[in-house]
Amino acid sequence: MNGIRRLTQTMITAAAFAITSAVAQPLTDVDAIITQANIASYYAGDDGRSAARMMIVDGSGNQQRRQFTLLRKDVTNGGDQRYLVVFSRPADIRGTVFRVEKHVGANDDRWLYLPALDLVKRIASGDKRTSFVGSHFYYEDISGRGIEEDAHQLVETTATHYIVESTPKRPDEVEFSRYRTQIDRNTLLPMQTEYERESGEIFRRMEVTAVETINGYPTGTEVKMTDLDTGGYTLTQFRFSEYDIGLPDSVFSERSLRSPPREWLRRN
Amino acid sequence: MDWISALGNTAVWRAMALFVLIALSTYADAQSETDETWGDDAWGEDPWATEDSAWQWYGFIEGAIAPRLQNDRNIGEEQTLSETRLQIEGQRQLGGYSATLKADAWLDAVDDHSRADLREANLAGRLTPQTDIQFGRQMITWGTGDLVFLNDLFPKDYVAFFSGRGDEYLKAPINAVKLSWFSNLNIDAVWMPQATPNRFVTGERLSYFSPQAGQRIAAPPVLDPSDRDTLGDDSELALRLYQTINGIELAGYAFRGFDKQPSAIDPETNEAYFPRLSTLGASVRGPLMGGIANLETAYYDAEDSSGTDPNRPNDQWRLLGGYEHEPLKNLTLGWQYSLEWTQDHSALLRNLPDNQRQYAPEAYRHVFTNRVTWQVLRQDLTLSLFTFYSPTDADYYLRPRASYRLSDRLTATAGGNIFGGDNEWTFYSQLEKNSNAYLRLRYSF
Repeated sequence: MNGIRRLTQTMITAAAFAITSAVAQPLTDVDAIITQANIASYYAGDDGRSAARMMIVDGSGNQQRRQFTLLRKDVTNGGDQRYLVVFSRPADIRGTVFRVEKHVGANDDRWLYLPALDLVKRIASGDKRTSFVGSHFYYEDISGRGIEEDAHQLVETTATHYIVESTPKRPDEVEFSRYRTQIDRNTLLPMQTEYERESGEIFRRMEVTAVETINGYPTGTEVKMTDLDTGGYTLTQFRFSEYDIGLPDSVFSERSLRSPPREWLRRN
Repeated sequence: MDWISALGNTAVWRAMALFVLIALSTYADAQSETDETWGDDAWGEDPWATEDSAWQWYGFIEGAIAPRLQNDRNIGEEQTLSETRLQIEGQRQLGGYSATLKADAWLDAVDDHSRADLREANLAGRLTPQTDIQFGRQMITWGTGDLVFLNDLFPKDYVAFFSGRGDEYLKAPINAVKLSWFSNLNIDAVWMPQATPNRFVTGERLSYFSPQAGQRIAAPPVLDPSDRDTLGDDSELALRLYQTINGIELAGYAFRGFDKQPSAIDPETNEAYFPRLSTLGASVRGPLMGGIANLETAYYDAEDSSGTDPNRPNDQWRLLGGYEHEPLKNLTLGWQYSLEWTQDHSALLRNLPDNQRQYAPEAYRHVFTNRVTWQVLRQDLTLSLFTFYSPTDADYYLRPRASYRLSDRLTATAGGNIFGGDNEWTFYSQLEKNSNAYLRLRYSF
């Protein structure tokens, strides 16, 4: 039954998208585009669960893996969020749990649970543009960069994409001079982001290489981040994603760090 | 060459051979592993992926060697650590409960024995929607300090910590029932049917200062205090009440049990023992100016509340303040100040024999700590230095470390435990002759 309901829902959503894209005029207000793209990438549904895995390949071809399950709940749509990330591999990271209270326009609260010591460590929110668990993704790529951090400009509207150029308001805090994002006109998902140096040289690229519609929400299910300086990259795949599963606030607590909430982590 | 140093050298070679073995097996393993774990079938690794109730097994094998940096005339061994260790961990679901088993077995070339240690054997689950229980052998940690413990009176393994084992071995396991109740105020209650002391320095692997002997000593004789293992009579209870309000974590703590160190002496038998200890404390932790600040305090109600009995420890106030921040990308700094304020200090001094007075603790023992952590190569390489420094004891303890993840399975760690100070009887300085540099190679599976 559940499958049929979901299929119907998907078909309706797909039809709705087909209709809106055929009828609707392209958006022209860059703030509206950026706001909707942010919501499409990071705020699908009121909450969600996804299994994720990463293949991290350095410039010499050495490979590493990460696998985790991610729970998310929005406090407000487009605003604060709660995250719980439970790692299952590799062996030396298994059982580590990461909890984030994301605050838009303020420092996040972050906790890390280290199972071998039964230690709940509070982490200084620090620089969000540092590697997420050793991958080429930054913390900010996982939970979203605040849209108010940059000035955005719609530079082109193609048949399929909006091309937006973003310039940091505090350039000394980031490693890039600007970035250019291709946002799908139908789904409003950012499909590619290229980070540039002052010279215009592109040194970092994010690409969404697979999109699936899940519970009515178009979702990037495979994302690649490439470091063009070294040739290293990280490929992240999301599976078993579900939205609007009714996660209670209590899941995002110290209790879940020490004993991960199996009933919410389990795939359906 | 006497037999002791011959054994030492054998141990070195045994450890080196293991290192080579681990490195080779990883190299052979590297290619085959990468492909089979990225297929569509490889998603089943999450322990909660299915309702599966089979045991899942994990573990590691580790070679470790820690040569001493100076000769200790009290101890013949040339290493503080020389071992090959296997850890096996198993987990499975039993209805709504999860069962965990974790055990270590190792060949120890310093004491020339094979050893085993059961680190976890417990059942954990939900009693009611608001209550969790964990029953059996387990590890428990709480409090806000970084390698400084005020309200965490669960046993520590200082021998492992000082001799070069991994940080996770600082905590020793306990047999306990832990009940956790989650509401507007969260409560953890831990009952330990028998007292579990620290794995303290006994003189076997590490030497220490004996005020009675007036010098640094080592085994024999092994420091062997009378046990606290009578079921019921020697039970311990630890409580924590906590809540997070607007990102500020508040907690209150209470403990009723025994000192984790054999800090008292029975004048009749002249035997060391673990005196009764009750503590009450509180902590607060939260964000401050882009970093994390913490404050914690505890009152230690010891056996000698008037301070007149020099064989038993006095009451103490303990205080800890800390701040951690990330001033530069990938560089974290942690700062701590801690105070041990011994109550009735003048009474203690008055009642000590003349020749013991200089060894008495300071009325105010101040300790500063600093941790520098620098992560490079996308976190594959972590460089860190932890420093303990006490201006009142005029001694220090340095823990430099470099840890490199060669792959998901193989991690190499090199570091040191370096002790020093002006007087041989102070806390860190007494361990000076045990200063060591270590190398560990761990293969995880």
